Amino acid sequence: MNRATILGVLSVLLASGCASTITPPELASARTAYQRAAAGPAGSLNPTDLHVAKESLDTAEASFTEDGNTQVTRDLGYTAMRRSETAESRARTMQAMMDSKQVVDQMHESTATQLAQTKGALSATGQALQTETERRQAAEKRAAQAAADLAKFASVKQEARGMVITLSGGVLFTSAESTLMPAAQLKLNDVAKALTEQDPESTMVVEGHTDSQGTAASNKTLSEARARAVRDYLVSRGIAADRITSQGFGPDRSVGDNKTAEGRANNRRVEIVVKPKG
Amino acid sequence: MNKKLIALIAAAPFAWACGSSMPEPKQPLSDAEAALRSAREVGADTQPAARLQAKLADEAIVEAKKLIKDGDYERATYVVLRARADAELAVALAKERNALSAKGEAVEKSAETLGTNAQGVTR
Repeated sequence: MNRATILGVLSVLLASGCASTITPPELASARTAYQRAAAGPAGSLNPTDLHVAKESLDTAEASFTEDGNTQVTRDLGYTAMRRSETAESRARTMQAMMDSKQVVDQMHESTATQLAQTKGALSATGQALQTETERRQAAEKRAAQAAADLAKFASVKQEARGMVITLSGGVLFTSAESTLMPAAQLKLNDVAKALTEQDPESTMVVEGHTDSQGTAASNKTLSEARARAVRDYLVSRGIAADRITSQGFGPDRSVGDNKTAEGRANNRRVEIVVKPKG
Repeated sequence: MNKKLIALIAAAPFAWACGSSMPEPKQPLSDAEAALRSAREVGADTQPAARLQAKLADEAIVEAKKLIKDGDYERATYVVLRARADAELAVALAKERNALSAKGEAVEKSAETLGTNAQGVTR
């Protein structure tokens, strides 16, 4: 072997030595992958896999330190890189699962809130219904009591148009007059008291009626005046003015025979019609 | 430097390789194959990134079996190591994709439910 050959062999060996000190791409990638994984969610979410990846990287580093850029070092570097990637992927999976759980929890919470609101609304509706029922029952009871009280001095009938309280004209007015007699005022005081016990949402119409004696026009005028007198008196006794109106019909709505004294007496009357709400 | 010295230096790396006495990596190979099966069971073949890792694992297993057959247990051991790492990454990527899909479905369903609930509130 000549000198040139020996130098050539030594050069090859030296070159081989240099090559073994160059970091293999697998190890470089493993270092990068680990740094990325450690800085990402794996650091907090998946420390166990990250630790495995670190140990794997350390093994690859040790192999490189001891043996250089060998196939074993490259295999270990490759394995370390994959383990870091696996740690990252598993961390992303955990994050996605936590996100899903949060979304589902929020959905359940919203549904529960909605359910509670619906229950609350139902309860409020039920309560309102109960209150309304009780109010109506109380009003009906008061009305029945009022009707019973009225029945002691007036005729009380339940008709399609409402409760009709009939007061004889003879006890309210003198003949052909529309001024209430003192005794009539006492009667009307009781009527007013009874009417205030009625459903406060009910309305009333005071209707004046006469017999057929005299002209129709004068009877109409008289019936209107009497109805208005009764209405005004009831208002003065506490009935809300906007709940009560008056109307005169003259002899148009007779209930008795105008040819007999009794019939005419029955026709001379004032009727108070109490109309329930709605 | 004489011829003998040069021959000795040149043969040293091969002597190191042949001198190893690693056992046949039966269990590691079995573990790698199991990991690859798991990857396919969780749908790795239907997802590009996971499919690539599964393919790499598959190829490495084939290579490892050939090395074992040739008696190169040491090389086979490291190839099996790569195969298992690839297969486990395939499993992780497939599961990640599945988890992201589930999250997407949950978000979609939640949006529908929240919308319905909001309508209920304003109704």
